[in-house]
Amino acid sequence: MSDLVDVAELRAWLEEGYASSVRTAYLILGNRLDAEDAVQESFLRAWKFRDSLSSDSNFKPWLYRVVVNTCNSKLRKEIPHRDHRSREDELAGVAAIDDPMGRVALSNDVMTALKDLPTHLRIVVVLRYYADLSERDIATAIGRQPGTVKSRLSDARARLAAHPALQYDTTGEMDDRQERHS
Amino acid sequence: MTMFDEETLKKALAQAANEFSVSATAPDRILEQARSADMTEKPRRIEALYHHLGRSKSIVMSLAASVVVVAVAVPLFLSEQPGVTFSAVGAISTHSQKKIAVSGTGFMSGQSPTPDGTQGVVSNTGTPFTTLTGTPTLGLVTTNSSKTSSANASSSSLRVEEVGTIDLTIGGRQFQTTLTQLTAFATADGGFVSSTHATMGTKKKGTFSVASIVLQVPEHKFAILVDQVRHVGHATSVFTSANDVTGQYVDLQARIAALQVSRSQYLKIMTRTNSINGILAVQSQLNSIQSQIEQLQGQLNLLNTETTYGTLSVALTQSGAVHVAPAHPRSGFNKAWHDSITGFVSGFEWLLRIAGPLLFALILLAVLAMLGRLTWRATQRRRS
Repeated sequence: MSDLVDVAELRAWLEEGYASSVRTAYLILGNRLDAEDAVQESFLRAWKFRDSLSSDSNFKPWLYRVVVNTCNSKLRKEIPHRDHRSREDELAGVAAIDDPMGRVALSNDVMTALKDLPTHLRIVVVLRYYADLSERDIATAIGRQPGTVKSRLSDARARLAAHPALQYDTTGEMDDRQERHS
Repeated sequence: MTMFDEETLKKALAQAANEFSVSATAPDRILEQARSADMTEKPRRIEALYHHLGRSKSIVMSLAASVVVVAVAVPLFLSEQPGVTFSAVGAISTHSQKKIAVSGTGFMSGQSPTPDGTQGVVSNTGTPFTTLTGTPTLGLVTTNSSKTSSANASSSSLRVEEVGTIDLTIGGRQFQTTLTQLTAFATADGGFVSSTHATMGTKKKGTFSVASIVLQVPEHKFAILVDQVRHVGHATSVFTSANDVTGQYVDLQARIAALQVSRSQYLKIMTRTNSINGILAVQSQLNSIQSQIEQLQGQLNLLNTETTYGTLSVALTQSGAVHVAPAHPRSGFNKAWHDSITGFVSGFEWLLRIAGPLLFALILLAVLAMLGRLTWRATQRRRS
């Protein structure tokens, strides 16, 4: 009976956080399949150690912590040892066939800059600007002090602002992007 | 000009992340896995080992491990305790050597050596003086005791020879009082002053007062006397030594008894001898035996005296600093600073002292853990 209750709880977790977790992992890892693997592993791991989640603690940062740890583990152990993969799944390779407004081009530019960030900075950027976590929650998710998060975010913002992919004239930005895209 | 701003970044990230649709069946797969797989936390290795070995074997192994740990930890712990050492067969011997640092103070020039500037020499016996320590420096309190066990000596007839020396620095005004006080200690404990020699310094000549006094007290009062004397002034060096001479004492007694038996035998022979030559020969033997008996008896008497009374030689040296110290106790801040430094040094000494045994214990534990791990792996491999 308790197993059924527990599985129902896991289902609730999945409904609440699976999609956002996959997309977050995708932004960190830059690969959809890796992201799905990582999130599946994360949910199973979180489920296994669900007792460590106290009733008063916040579920979202805790789950993101598991996801981030799994992504870090993949980035450290699996991905560097892999052969050259197809770039079709990678974010930088995503190109919309029909993109008259140049939005995909913009996201490609941002993602190119994001990919050039070191992993620890990329993670805080994704958690802050995609997952929309507060600095305190990010601190919980990455297991660091809020001050560290603030510092990393500041560093990441500075790097992104200085990245060549994001340097272009605002007056001709759309033309530039459409031109580049075509 | 840069296009970067936070809103753009948010939008771009959301756009990039939403480029693909999330698989709708993936959550079901996870649920399926969660149902099918044993998602309970993998039992820890110790628990697994417990289940694998069974209750009785686990208990036996735990006990064995505890015995090993105790066998290693107790000698290590006791080796840190002064006064007790473990020998290979487990017997405890009481050979000890303690060293306690005592900070000393030097002479202070310009201080009046004596209150009245008198000069004099007090001497009551011709006993050789013990060494005087001229300049009090960093001293050591050393306690050295050794006991040689005797097979036929019972604990009730223990003969222990105790001697000690203490170097004291005393303020000029207290010098005379201290000498009187030391004599009083000895007589109060049922002992006596064996010898005294004091030279009083003069202010005019700039000399300092020095004295040497040898106290003898009953052996069982020796420790009390040492403690009393140490607190009379500023002890810069304390040395005491206890030597168990029971074996030597019993041996002397036995040899004297044997010689006495021989002497009585020769006396009997002498009564039966009629010839002059025979009498002379026996007389010669008797003289030799008598001489040996007296010699041994002398040694026995000396041991008797030495073991009945403990001898403490006290060397007194005048120092102005010691006199000044009680009048000007350390201020709160000064005392706190001094205590802090002392505490730091003590803590560091403690760390150093414990580091060796701790390292050894850690290495041992690591080796045991490695062996356990190898055994565990081998067992698992065999099972699989």
